[in-house]
Amino acid sequence: MSDEPVLEICDVVRAYPGRRAVDGASFTLPRGGISCLLGPSGCGKSSLLRLIAGLEPVDAGTIRLRGETVAAAGLTVAPERRGVGLVFQDNALFPHLDVAANVGFGLAGLAAEDRRARVAALLDRFHIAHLAAAWPHMLSGGEQQRVAIARALAREPSLLLLDEPFSGLDGHLREAVRDALLADLRSAGTSVLIVTHDPEEAMMIADKLVLMAEGRILQTGKPQDCYHRPVSIAAARLLGDLVVTEAVVTGGVATTPFGAVPTPNAPDGTARLVVRPDALIPGASGLPATVTRSRFAGGFYLVDATGAGGRHVSYRCAGDPPAAGAPVTLTLRADAPAMIVPADE
Amino acid sequence: MALPLIGVVLAALGSGTADIAARDIARYALTSAWLALLVGFLTAVTGTLAAWLVVMYRFPARGFFAWALALPLATPAFALAYGYADLFDVAGPLRSWLRAATGHDLPFELRSTGGAAFILSAAFYPYVYLAMRAAFLNQSVNVLEAARMLGCTGGRALWRVALPMARPALAAGVALAVMETLADYGAVQFLSVQTLTTGVVRAWSVYGSTVSAARFALPLLAAAALLLWIERASRRGATHETGKARWRTLDVQPLAGVRRWLAFGFCLSLLTAGLLLPVGWLIWNLAQTSPDWVRLAAATRNSLLLGFGGAILTVALATMLALGTRQWPVAARIASLGYATPGAVMAIGLLAPAGLIWNLAPGSGMAIAILLLLFAYAARLMAAALEPIDAGMARVTPSMRHAARTLGRGETGAAFAVDLPVARGALLTALLIIFIDVLKELPATLILRPFNFDTLAVIANNYALDERLGQAGLPSLLIVAISLPAVIWLTRRIATARPGV
Repeated sequence: MSDEPVLEICDVVRAYPGRRAVDGASFTLPRGGISCLLGPSGCGKSSLLRLIAGLEPVDAGTIRLRGETVAAAGLTVAPERRGVGLVFQDNALFPHLDVAANVGFGLAGLAAEDRRARVAALLDRFHIAHLAAAWPHMLSGGEQQRVAIARALAREPSLLLLDEPFSGLDGHLREAVRDALLADLRSAGTSVLIVTHDPEEAMMIADKLVLMAEGRILQTGKPQDCYHRPVSIAAARLLGDLVVTEAVVTGGVATTPFGAVPTPNAPDGTARLVVRPDALIPGASGLPATVTRSRFAGGFYLVDATGAGGRHVSYRCAGDPPAAGAPVTLTLRADAPAMIVPADE
Repeated sequence: MALPLIGVVLAALGSGTADIAARDIARYALTSAWLALLVGFLTAVTGTLAAWLVVMYRFPARGFFAWALALPLATPAFALAYGYADLFDVAGPLRSWLRAATGHDLPFELRSTGGAAFILSAAFYPYVYLAMRAAFLNQSVNVLEAARMLGCTGGRALWRVALPMARPALAAGVALAVMETLADYGAVQFLSVQTLTTGVVRAWSVYGSTVSAARFALPLLAAAALLLWIERASRRGATHETGKARWRTLDVQPLAGVRRWLAFGFCLSLLTAGLLLPVGWLIWNLAQTSPDWVRLAAATRNSLLLGFGGAILTVALATMLALGTRQWPVAARIASLGYATPGAVMAIGLLAPAGLIWNLAPGSGMAIAILLLLFAYAARLMAAALEPIDAGMARVTPSMRHAARTLGRGETGAAFAVDLPVARGALLTALLIIFIDVLKELPATLILRPFNFDTLAVIANNYALDERLGQAGLPSLLIVAISLPAVIWLTRRIATARPGV
């Protein structure tokens, strides 16, 4: 039983007048661990979250929680019966209740003594015991979020959903709050699904990534796999900048402007090479180009260059950048993952 | 809730012949329009000036005036009319003394359209004052500072930016004052000013003609619809004036020298005109009367019964509507149609359905009549209750409601656990507003009340019509005494409320 997925989404469709917010999405989440649903703004990820929570009905497809079907066409199990916790982007704390009462809100069925004990334990775990008697408007953004998460966990949901939980926090605070919170969530052992549009954040915190665009799931898997072995250009673009260029495959080897790339499984013919900017380095052979400008980006310089045929490429340069107008030859790093995709994708 | 309005239109189109000529209706309508114009102008000027002084400047007793200027809301307009009429009557003590002492008389006649306009303005200026005060408090300091940066002096910034921004509030406040003017029966009837509302009641009570009454009511209904539209349209304009900018305290300028006493004097004279002078005179006169305590006690009991009953029924219906209209916003608009409709018109509209019920269940007169009366109050005051309740529930975001659902509450459970507790202050506000309005209500009560069922307002009116002003004073004062604590609580709550919180 323990390897049964906590969540199974199967061909789920949710349409609003004029558009399909969720358009045949399918994926499963294993029990435990932190997963991130990543996609650009407006791709339907928040809608999908609301469908999982039961706040909206599905038009087609099924949603199963711990093996039980909770949503299908004509079936919507009420949100209060799903055993799912949801933390809203604005935290949605109840302004008329203090912190302890907010956290205990979902425990109405419990005896007063048990409820008090459960609330105290949660306040302790999320380091907000000193705020028990405080009112929501007195709390900082990070504190409000801890209260909202403690409140959602009070009912011991099998799955905790968080909608863009860190978007309201800024700068260095964001990282500190996020790391502390994720450590607490992991120690709680709950399965967590976090919705975000920030790829770096998603890759940093997730055990499993679910990539979504235009209402569809593009790829699921470990962050490293999704980043280095994307299944499509669209999936690859979600996780960062790309360099895409033409290639010709002959006998398991792709000939590209940057040099030859072994592609044992690709059929012969024209194709496209997809690599990350950090895969390109100056070398002896490859694409001759002229540096147009370089920009400082913290740990490295991002260098723009124009190659033969007016092709624009960018690469990362760790040391001092070349001056504008300097010639450079770009080649692929030997250990860099590269993807060859059919030319028509 | 729209039933009485349909009733009026149907009755007016009825085949029965009217006993009152169209010429009379036009004459009454003209008086109503003139009165509305005068009251609109007077309340706009006095209410705006008072709000501006209290918000922008520091002068003696400013903190007191901030809430006390709204206190005339506790006095029914007819009580002011009794007080002033007695004080300034040609044969009254003040004028008799003036003639004897100086040989001259005051150059005005209170029982005139002008006199009625003065009294109604003294009673209704708080509507403008409260709306303008909120608007001035809500204005963004950033906008005022931006005007300063663009070259306006402080005074010019106020004139070119603050006042135009508050125009929607002015329109809304004046519309309320004019609505109340058109709906007033007790004061104008006593001052012998023939308005459409007195026409409605007279057509019904003297001629017993529902058709005539309904024909008087039709222009009132049209005017009410127009005012309601103005008020709502202004409110839409008012929503963007608060903006999303962070709220900062306005810099209050201290007034110096004679100007601080002018400001003090102006505020004091408003409060005196709307409350202290007429109510003080009525209290002074009490000594010379021998009240009929038994009748007063029964009327007090009836007034409280109707006040509490009306408040509870209206607020309960308004709460259900507020919760329900999240799905059907149109329902709230239909239910609010009754607002601005004078009570007399509402009562006439209910007479036909009432007749049907009485014919069906003849023995149930008393209970049915009271229920109808409560229904008339609810129909007339629904919007007044809906407005604060809606505002209170606006604090509940959709995500809070959804959070309650994911935390184990059903739809109704979420309403009881989140919406109602968050809006509890607003619910209490609505209860008190309706309670006060029902206590002061006269024409609908006159028309729909069961036989021998007197309220304080009704016996005050009856005494006054018999020119027994001393006797009319006590029930009027009892209304003031009952509603004053509620009004004080309400206005202090409004005065201390920080916008944007």
